Parts: sequence; structure tokens; C-alpha cells
Amino acid sequence: MLRAMLTKEFLLILRDKHALAALFIMPSIFILIMSMALKDTFSSDRAFVSYAVIDQDQTTISHEIASLLRENRTLKEYRQTVRPGKDLQDALNDDLTFAVTIVPGFSASLASEDSTVPLKLDAASDVQQNMLRLFKGELTGILMKLRIKTLLHELDPLLPGIAARTDARLMDQSSLITVQFNGLEESLFPTSTQQSVPSWIVFGMFFIIIPMSTIFISEHRQNTLMRMNGMNISIPALFTGKIVPYMVINQIQVWLMIGVGMFMVPLLGAPALTPGHSVTGIIMVSTGLSLAAIGTSMLIAVSVNSVEQATTIGGILNILFGAIGGVMVPKFFMPEAMQTFSNLSPMSWGLEGFLDLFLRGLGAGAVLTESLALAGFGGLMLLLAAWILARRTGNGL
Amino acid sequence: MIRIHNLSKSYGETPALRHLNMEIGRGCIFGLLGPNGAGKTTLLSIINGLTGFQEGEIEIFGLSLAGNIRQIRSRCAFIPQALAFYDNLTVIENLRFFAGIQSIRGAALEQSLDHAISVNRLQHLLDRKSATLSGGEKRRLNIGIGLLNNPEILYFDEPTIGIDPESRNDILTTIRSFREENKTVIYSSHYMEEIEKICDEVAIIHHGRIIRQDSLQDMLQQGGRRSVIIELYHPDPARLSRITGIMPELRLLDEERLMLPSQDSAGIAKLLTLLEEEQIGIRQIRYRARTLESLFINLTSHGEADA
Repeated sequence: MLRAMLTKEFLLILRDKHALAALFIMPSIFILIMSMALKDTFSSDRAFVSYAVIDQDQTTISHEIASLLRENRTLKEYRQTVRPGKDLQDALNDDLTFAVTIVPGFSASLASEDSTVPLKLDAASDVQQNMLRLFKGELTGILMKLRIKTLLHELDPLLPGIAARTDARLMDQSSLITVQFNGLEESLFPTSTQQSVPSWIVFGMFFIIIPMSTIFISEHRQNTLMRMNGMNISIPALFTGKIVPYMVINQIQVWLMIGVGMFMVPLLGAPALTPGHSVTGIIMVSTGLSLAAIGTSMLIAVSVNSVEQATTIGGILNILFGAIGGVMVPKFFMPEAMQTFSNLSPMSWGLEGFLDLFLRGLGAGAVLTESLALAGFGGLMLLLAAWILARRTGNGL
Repeated sequence: MIRIHNLSKSYGETPALRHLNMEIGRGCIFGLLGPNGAGKTTLLSIINGLTGFQEGEIEIFGLSLAGNIRQIRSRCAFIPQALAFYDNLTVIENLRFFAGIQSIRGAALEQSLDHAISVNRLQHLLDRKSATLSGGEKRRLNIGIGLLNNPEILYFDEPTIGIDPESRNDILTTIRSFREENKTVIYSSHYMEEIEKICDEVAIIHHGRIIRQDSLQDMLQQGGRRSVIIELYHPDPARLSRITGIMPELRLLDEERLMLPSQDSAGIAKLLTLLEEEQIGIRQIRYRARTLESLFINLTSHGEADA
């Protein structure tokens, strides 16, 4: 009996081009687009802040300040020369964030024992405070290095070769700081692909809501459900016939999208996905997500009366779950209260599970809670759907 | 084979079936005749365990329906009014699916498929998507699915709705052939000529009650009447009422039509004489044969309609 139901369900899905597109093509395209779109957000090469240097001092030190700022790839030099006065104001009103004015006498003051001529920093009026602090920190670092360099050169006659020996090390940040991202190997860093693939896997899996509920409603409207009831098919048997094929479809989706992340995304220039070390963990989270999505689908299918209603409600619910659950906007961008609220969405549980595996490099044990919560949610939805269906049909089916 | 005693069913405050009693023997083709909304589909749904009921008892194969529904269902088939199969599957895929969910396997499966296909002449349609079949072909597939479990009782709920006369005849011929296999058929319809063609016994159901149940032959002999319909030419109501006063057996169907519920020549002559005396012109005289239709109309509309 189960074999017949599985065969039927697979044939119906395979012949529904729209369902196939929604289940397989749409999330794959999302992964490609979002990985490309967010590529620079997680890249250390992207310049976020524009700056201009107004060098009124014109010394070796002032040239070196400009040169060191230029070496920082997170800073972008303003596209045209800026002069003090109205020119500077216009640029700051445009898209210039910071203007560093090296006033006359600054270099001499930097080298002296008591600096009395400070650097002048103009900032755009809408600059964020944290950005200002970061830029000031960067500038301070450069100035400290230059001051030490000057002092070392002054000491060179007393300690021959000291300046040459330390000069290169002064600017080498890696000899001072190494960064280790939690859960990633030493040389790896979080990428747009690591962030976006889990999101769109979760979102894509929940898209079974639409084909699953529309097929079920069509069966109800075409009286095939009634006929099956007349042939002694019980609600548990009917639900099993639905759950198993859609779990298989969800598994195909998951591995297909992981494959897209690993092999197709790099072809477009974005970093490849590294799916962590735990296949068991991936299967646990995806099975839990499957049950949650299938349970939601069945609940919608038995609660509405038309395909149009199922499509609308299913689509809206999917987008709401995604928006709340951190699929569309990563949770770390959300305010704290919103982050707490996002835990209401089962998509958030699945997403956290996948991020544990893909981004934080954790194993199956770490995703047990999320997997059980998702499976429990799915089971509850299925029980509710079975109860509603039994009430609506007045007996077993 | 089927015994229904004092069956009542309501949807909320609205009664659908009221104190129904019925017995149907093995091998009988039993017609369930009634206008739309009479309760035919509700009755079939209850017998098939698809709908509950508030009062009464139903026994099928000597087993009470309550508590034995799965066992009873496995020996019956319900062919619903709607086309209950998958449009996106081919004919053979539909047949295999519905056989599969009834756990029909191996040699029994091939035998059931052969039977369902040959009885309904589906051989040349097996690989066609069901959505592309004609109305008649769809109806035949709908019946074919019902035959897969080799049922002893078949319930047909208006199986010929919306199809051409040729397909309808094909289906009626198929259903008539079940008599040779000693299958019991409950055939629900509001097409009286179909019931007359295939049924051995008939129950007329109206407003949830069985208002007449008998063998078709007895019903036609006892209940069906010949009649005469006379269409008049702008009759004066006062003159017309004088005639109906003299002949109280006359029924006024509307302002211009009279019905004489017999074809007795003396009665017809008397009526024609009275019409002449009252100077009422005659447009047309029609003789109506004795049919189930006339009986049905008499019983369900108290003779106030002329079909």
C-alpha cells in the first residue's frame, strides 16, 4: 500500500513543473544570487569608508600617512582632490566620510617630545560613532608607528641598525595579532556562502508547503481522498504516504543546495561552501526541518478549502517564518528583542542548526536540541492536522 | 444482503434522511430514484461508512455496519458521482495506484486489472493521461477503479452525469452485465429512463423519505398511469372552473392546461363536450404513456407538474 502511495506522490510531483521549480530551481538560484550579492559583505577586501587626505604639511611623514592609509583595503580614497572650505563641505555632503587634514607643522610636532599640532579630522554628519572610533583608531595606529619610527631613527646613531631591524615589523599586523574564527580552521574565515546557503536551504525546504498542500486539496476536491477512505485507507496511512516522499524530496533539496554551494557558487567568483564535518548532523537537522515543513503543509492543507487559499497562506507563512527566523536578514543584524522574537520561528531553529554545522564547525551533538524541537513541532502540527481532518470528514479520513 | 432499519440522519437542524427502511437482496440491481437533494448521496455515503448517522441500524452481509466497516468495505465498491481519480496520472497508473492501496498484488492484481480494463473497454486508453480522456472515457475509468477489488456490492452515484447518449448506453450495458456475475448494484439516479432500463427494484426517495419501494414491474403496473393533457386556447377561468366542478378528477396544471388522469374514451368524450359547450378552444391534445416518470412526478409533486 505504502509503495503505491509513494509512487503516486512522486509521479504527481515530477509532473508538476511549477512545484519542481519552486522546490529545486528557486532555492538554488537564491543561493547563487545571495552568495554573489553578499560576497563583499564578508570580504576583508571590501572598502566601506571613503576618506580624503588634505596634505598642507607636504613632508615625508605626511606623505607616509597618506601612503599607509592607502594600504588599508577597508578604506577607499576619495575619487577627487579635496580642498579645504566649501569644496570639503560639498564632498562631505556627497559620499566622503572622513577628511584628514595634515596641518602645516604636524610632522615636526609628531617628532617632537610634546606634540602641540594635532591632525584635523572632518567627518560626514551621518557617520556612525563606531565607524568614527574605528577610523580614529586606524589613524592613531599609523601615527604611533610613525612616531616610534621617528624615535628609532633618532636612536640609530646610539644603537646602530635599530631602525632598519624594526622598520618592517612595525607595520606587520600579523606579527602582533592572529584571528581565529570560532569553529573554523585557522586559515578559514566566514564567507557569504557559509551564511547564505544554510538560510536558503531552510527556506527552500519549507517551500514544500505549496505543492504538498495544493496536491492534498486537489485530492480532496477530486474526491480521491473520499475514494481512498472507501478503500479503507486510514489517516495515519494517508499521512505516511505523504510524509515519506516529501522527506526524500527535502533530502534531495538539501544535498543539491550543498552541492550548489560547493561547486557552482565558486564558478561565479564567490567562495565555496565548506559544509562542516558532520553528515549525521546535517541529516538530523534536515529531517527535523522536513517534519516541521510537512506538518505545517498538512495543517494548511486540511484547514483551507481551495488551492488558491493554500498557495496564498503557504506563501505568506513561508515568508513570515523566513523574515522572523533570520533567513532574509541575518539574526546578528537584528536588535536583541527581535533576536529573541525570532526564536519563535521553526526556520530559526533549523538555521541555527545548519550554522552550527557549516559556520561553527560543530558536530551532531550540538544540533540535537534544534533537531528534536523541529521534529516535535512537526509532530504537533501533524497531530493537529489529523484531528482537523477527522473532524471535517466525520470519521477516519 | 443489505438491510436498513429506521435510518435517520440530519445535518444540524436539517433532516437529510427520515426513518428509512430498506432491504436489498443479492444479485439485485436496485434503483434509488429521487430529485436532487432527496437524500440519495447521503444514503450511499452512510452505507459506505463515509458519513455518520444519528439513528437506525444497517446490516450488510449480515454484519452490522458499526464495528465492521473495514470488513464490509473490502467487499464493496463505491463509484462516486465525481470523477475520483488523478488527472495527472495515466489510466493504467490510476488503476495500479487504486489496486495498490487495496493491497491487491501479484496474479490477483493482473487479473483485477484485466477485468476492470476489459469490462470498461479501456485497453486503448491505458497510456493516456486521465485529464485528456473524453467525458464518457473518464466515467468508464471511474467505474473501472471500482471493480478492482472484485466487489460483491457496487454503489453507483449518478454515474452518467454529463456524458453523451452513446457513452451512457455503454455504461448502462456494463452495469446490466453485473447481474450475470450475481453482483448487487445500488444505482442512484434522477434519470428515470436509466432506472427503467436496468433496475429490478426501485425505491423513490423524496425529502429524505422512501415514498415508494417495489419491483419495477409492479410499480409501473400499479402506479404509473396513462393520462391526457389538453392545452386550451385562452380559456375563461370562470368557464373552466364550471368544467372542473362537473369533472372533479380533472387537474388544472396551469391556466391553459388540463390533465385527465386516464385515457378512458368516455371521460375524454365528456370533457370535449363540456369544452364545446363552454366555447373553449382546444390547442392540442397529448396522450401520455405509463412511465416511471409519470409515477415519479405524481408521487413527488402531487401531480402539479407536467414533465
